[in-house]
Amino acid sequence: MQRREALKSMLGLSVAAAACNPFPALANLASANEDIMAQFATSFDKAALSNPSLIGLKSMSGDIPWQNLTIEGKLPKALRGNFYRNGPAVHQRNGQRYTHLFEGDGMIQHFNFADTGIQHRAKFVKTNKYTQEQAADKFLFSGPNSKLPGSLPVNKTDIINAANTNIIPVNGELWALWEAGSATAIDTSSLDAKGLVNLGENTRYSNSLKGLAFSAHPKIEADRTIWNFGSTVTGDIVLYHLNNRGITQKVNLLKTNYRGGMLHDFLITQNNILIILPSLDRDKTDERLFSAIRFNKSLPMKVLVIDKNTLTLTREYQVDAGFAFHFGNAWEDTDGTIRFDASLYPNCENLHHMSDLMRGKTSNATPANTVLFTLYKNGSAHKQTIAGISEFPRVYDHLTGLQNNLLVTLSSVKSDVWSDSVRVVNVNNGKQDTFVYGEDFLVEEHVIVDNSHQEGNGYLVGTALHVPSKRTCVNIFKIGHVSDGPICRAWLPYTLPLGFHGNFMAV
Amino acid sequence: MNFLTLSTLSLSLFILPVSAQTVQFNIEGIQHDKGKLYIQLFKGENNFKKGEAHNVAIVNAKKGKLTVTFNDVEPGDYAIRYFHDENSNRDFDNNMFGMPIEGYGFSNNAPVNFGPPSYQQMTFMVSDVAVINSSTVNY
Repeated sequence: MQRREALKSMLGLSVAAAACNPFPALANLASANEDIMAQFATSFDKAALSNPSLIGLKSMSGDIPWQNLTIEGKLPKALRGNFYRNGPAVHQRNGQRYTHLFEGDGMIQHFNFADTGIQHRAKFVKTNKYTQEQAADKFLFSGPNSKLPGSLPVNKTDIINAANTNIIPVNGELWALWEAGSATAIDTSSLDAKGLVNLGENTRYSNSLKGLAFSAHPKIEADRTIWNFGSTVTGDIVLYHLNNRGITQKVNLLKTNYRGGMLHDFLITQNNILIILPSLDRDKTDERLFSAIRFNKSLPMKVLVIDKNTLTLTREYQVDAGFAFHFGNAWEDTDGTIRFDASLYPNCENLHHMSDLMRGKTSNATPANTVLFTLYKNGSAHKQTIAGISEFPRVYDHLTGLQNNLLVTLSSVKSDVWSDSVRVVNVNNGKQDTFVYGEDFLVEEHVIVDNSHQEGNGYLVGTALHVPSKRTCVNIFKIGHVSDGPICRAWLPYTLPLGFHGNFMAV
Repeated sequence: MNFLTLSTLSLSLFILPVSAQTVQFNIEGIQHDKGKLYIQLFKGENNFKKGEAHNVAIVNAKKGKLTVTFNDVEPGDYAIRYFHDENSNRDFDNNMFGMPIEGYGFSNNAPVNFGPPSYQQMTFMVSDVAVINSSTVNY
């Protein structure tokens, strides 16, 4: 029975497929006899004719070979290396469209920063799913949220692993990450997929970790030690400790009662892992993974404090109701006081906004703000909000789990589709150094590139889609002078689909 | 033993070869020759839910396809489930979340789609003719 329940709940799906839709806008779509994916495609295509901002949600037809980019400004000599980004790049096939932004096949964007300039190439992660569907020129499998009429059986999550959320360097290769299943190993030279990573291989765990969820937000310490978690909708949370070569050292399973269905990111401090459980419930009558998620304002957020040495729960805090996809960093004082930041939403409208976008509908979902939390040893908690919209937080890599003063986030001044700004926030005094790209740009995650291990040094590197010219650009800012605008910008001759996360590997 | 009992017994012996049938079960898509396949035949939904098999076959794995035959199966509704014990540890191995990590499947090739198939999807009737049923292994 336990096995059956696990199988049934791996993607948060009930075998009962009763349609129950709380979103008035979708009420007319919720019929078991209708192809909702076809309706999303029709709706999106129609909306895209009059809303050019939707260009970033169109699909790519195939890989892109190396090419040199046109550069404005001067590429800093100190900035050499490879910038990898990952994101969904096939949302629609053969008149059918996914019903959530999180479902599309992952495509790796690779920018090489060299003495000769900046080059770009892109390659789809050749997962089992992508390869089969590309050959068939149509969707063959349901996604976590999209029910495909006549779907081929999905007997394990990795069957529909989209490898679409993040990409990290591990021991000479890249891992493309998708939070519901295994990491996919990628060859750094060719960007070819080498296969799914079996985290227990050549360890005492053997095959017992095969196919487990491995979140898309591992925390990598300065010495390259990797910490991560994976979760199921039944509240099982697996915790991972990998060494700097990606070899699993320790794993533990926490049985929690969290049934929110969305646990995207987490944090580490010097001594602890923090799992933050947002104020979410699921509508058990709705078989869709993301669309079934509801915000429960009467449910406090929980912070689980887990000892890194034993991977066991040691403390638990409750804070005000909220929801966050992403956290920037956490650290602790010598007296054990824990501090962390979150791009915190007062509800989960933004999660559903990303479903609305897939049918071409923009909405005024309540945005997130950076909120600084302090958890005291006596069990009390305090929070402080920093002004401005906040998403995709990043800190200096060498400070992961240690005290940080600076926090990089995207922000938005006017855009109701995506971010339109990037900023560096001093979390001690709230000072912000912001560059507003403007309404014409859809701004993606910016990462910090610095070899000096000194906050305030280095560069910000990130991509943005210029809607009027239908071109994506990669931008370089000098940290400390972000509001001056990019010191270098390289233009692609085409649009890249809006993506999620990435990392810069300096050489 | 009285006459009535003897008559009933004789009648049963006489009828059995006529009413009992063979169930031939074809398993396809076996990935390799390592290990064994454990195939369980269940009679009725209650027995299936309780995990009480009516009959069990254990055969060496053979890459591609193999066939097992259950003989003298009485009329009724049945279901078959099986797994490929790839590492020969006599167990159906799962990962830490309880998800199968060895091949498995069900009669009628009942699909595993975001959850296990129902008994109704895998059940078949045995009556007065031989049964042939098939499944492809889920790895």
